Amino acid sequence: ASPVSGTSKPLFLCSPFVEAALVKGNFKPIVMLPKYVEVNEWVASNIFDFYQNVNMFYGVITECCTQESCPTMCAGSSLNYTWINQDRKSVQLPAPTYIDFVMTWVQNLLDDDTIFPTKAGRDFPQNFPSTIKHVYRQLLRVFAHIYYAHYHQILHLRSEPHFNSLFAHFLAFGREYELLDIKDLKGAPNAPVSVGPLWERWKEMGTLEG
Amino acid sequence: QPPPGKPADYVYFDRTTAGFSEDAVQRAKAAQLKLQHYYKVAVDSAIERNTRRVDMERKLAADTMMPDDRKQRQLLQLGKKETAFLRLRRTKLGLEDFRTVKVIGKGAFGEVRLVQKTDTGKIYAMKTLKKEEMLKKDQLAHVRAERDVLAESDSPWVVQLYYSFQDPMYLYLIMEFLPGGDLMTMLIKYDTFSEDVTRFYIAECVLAIEAVHKLGFIHRDIKPDNILIDKDGHIKLSDFGLSTGFHKQHDASYYQRLLDSANGVVSPTAAAQAGRNSVMVDPIHLTMTSKDQIATWKANRRKLAYSTVGTPDYIAPEIFRQQGYGKECDWWSLGAIMFECLVGYPPFCSESTHETYQKIMHWQYHLVFPDDVHLSREAEDLIRRLITSVDRRMNVEQIRAHPFFYGVDWQTIRHIDAPFVPHLRSITDTSYFPTDELDQVPEEPQGADTSGANKDLAFLGYTFKRFTLNSNAF
Ligand SMILES: Nc1ncnc2c1ncn2[C@@H]1O[C@H](COP(=O)(O)OP(=O)(O)OP(=O)(O)O)[C@@H](O)[C@H]1O
Repeated sequence: ASPVSGTSKPLFLCSPFVEAALVKGNFKPIVMLPKYVEVNEWVASNIFDFYQNVNMFYGVITECCTQESCPTMCAGSSLNYTWINQDRKSVQLPAPTYIDFVMTWVQNLLDDDTIFPTKAGRDFPQNFPSTIKHVYRQLLRVFAHIYYAHYHQILHLRSEPHFNSLFAHFLAFGREYELLDIKDLKGAPNAPVSVGPLWERWKEMGTLEG
Repeated sequence: QPPPGKPADYVYFDRTTAGFSEDAVQRAKAAQLKLQHYYKVAVDSAIERNTRRVDMERKLAADTMMPDDRKQRQLLQLGKKETAFLRLRRTKLGLEDFRTVKVIGKGAFGEVRLVQKTDTGKIYAMKTLKKEEMLKKDQLAHVRAERDVLAESDSPWVVQLYYSFQDPMYLYLIMEFLPGGDLMTMLIKYDTFSEDVTRFYIAECVLAIEAVHKLGFIHRDIKPDNILIDKDGHIKLSDFGLSTGFHKQHDASYYQRLLDSANGVVSPTAAAQAGRNSVMVDPIHLTMTSKDQIATWKANRRKLAYSTVGTPDYIAPEIFRQQGYGKECDWWSLGAIMFECLVGYPPFCSESTHETYQKIMHWQYHLVFPDDVHLSREAEDLIRRLITSVDRRMNVEQIRAHPFFYGVDWQTIRHIDAPFVPHLRSITDTSYFPTDELDQVPEEPQGADTSGANKDLAFLGYTFKRFTLNSNAF
């Protein structure tokens, strides 16, 4: 679907799209934990925003992500993510179904006051860090799928500076709070994540820190 | 081949939205704007947060008297506030998060209640707006846009809006509670003010209106009911553009219809029903210098404030004409309010809104200063330079320089002692509100969804409050 001329590189790694950014410069100032602020609250607040924002962009291309176009939750030519169902079995799902499951699951967590407390005086649960890691990992998969399967649509809609910045911010944030596992971003040698090399490119460009 | 000067992996991509639905294109645009706004706010808040911390650290460092453990506590306290504010961003509020203490006011679209947030015990004013009565849907969107900008204002002259949510019946606005009541209630109580007292309120209004204009807004509906009194006796303008933006009754066409069909019919419902069977009557013109008439007007004043018609008493003539208007219209309203402060009733008050409207349109004949009230030359002159045609009306610089304001220190007026400072016995004291007149109004809005099932996703994560260090919000 992508009219790439003379190169087999994915579009998002090609100039000028790889350089496109809404937010220029380093994400450090908006990623860093503000002094005296509680870390769980800061992480919760940011994950909440990442969820809203990625959901918003998925909403834009949702009509292009169908059972037919994306029968699997793919993020590379040999990589399909599997969903663990209620019987603890790995199942292949069409990407729209998979993403809907992710979004619904995260929304329910966000709405649960015992996990993401909003009432004054209520604390975060003990296992909050591990919950957040799970959420981060699933949102990363949604990004990975959009980059791999829908980047040309992002380009048609002239949204690549926005989407790139959102993803770069997401990566920088994940790095800072040890939510991002580089293995998850790069995938296995026999099943690489297509978007993986973006990490190196953005580091070279200075968008992300080493 | 990459073009000269371009990297080897440079590619061309022909963009087209041909394969997309109209909806997707719209959503893409909206997403771009929202993300842009998101990062702008993220950067601004990071800067502001940092400034607050550095300011506090510097202040504490300079304080050689304070023991270190107290300094440490203050810094932790700041961290707590910042943390609480972050939490608020994720908080979805609903009616069930608030407890009504008392009904304190009534407006065109609903009531204003003194409420307490159940988990924090903090006090707010909650304004309910009945959606059904807000009529035009598209105007709601317009109102929302205005409110979003307004919510970002930190002006001490504007009532702070903290949060808003909705259920199928109502839109709810959670605002700071101003315990001193409003200028209308004060005028009902005192009849008139001395020139000194008037100077204070009008001068503060000048600054408040100027602040609103600087935010890029025209209030259009400044009246004593919208001028609220804070705990120190200083004024703030009540949230505008919120309801005023869609006050259908203030539309020029509405007044036109009223004028055309009613011809003396008093109530707008009667006007609407009048239709072709309407009986033409000659309106009886009463002169308002008669004390009886003024008394009648005063007795009906609050009723008028509660009705959906609203009072046109303070509205500039150009608003009624179809040809558009600018911020000058707010200075006309101020002139009418100043007249009322000194004389006891607004300059064009009449038996019916229709008649008031007529008088405003022909203000040249109807702006009369009664013989039995003494006004200084400066006061009368200022009023005459506000209640006048647009091209002759004074602008803010001219107003500030007018001799009536001689001696006013515009920089410090908000910090000097106000002429009337409310005596409050508690944070929930409502003695400055006509609560006994409002005992018919139910504790909870009728037909509201109290189940909490209807928390609105459109407002999810949206707070209207910019964090301020001394803010008591939430
Ligand atoms: N934040 C507040 N604190 C205290 N009292 C308030 C507050 N907001 C409103 N009130 C009281 O409620 C009354 C009615 O409120 P308001 O004028 O905002 O409603 P309205 O008439 O519907 O608005 P509009 O000006 O759009 O017609 C005010 O005159 C005032 O007495």
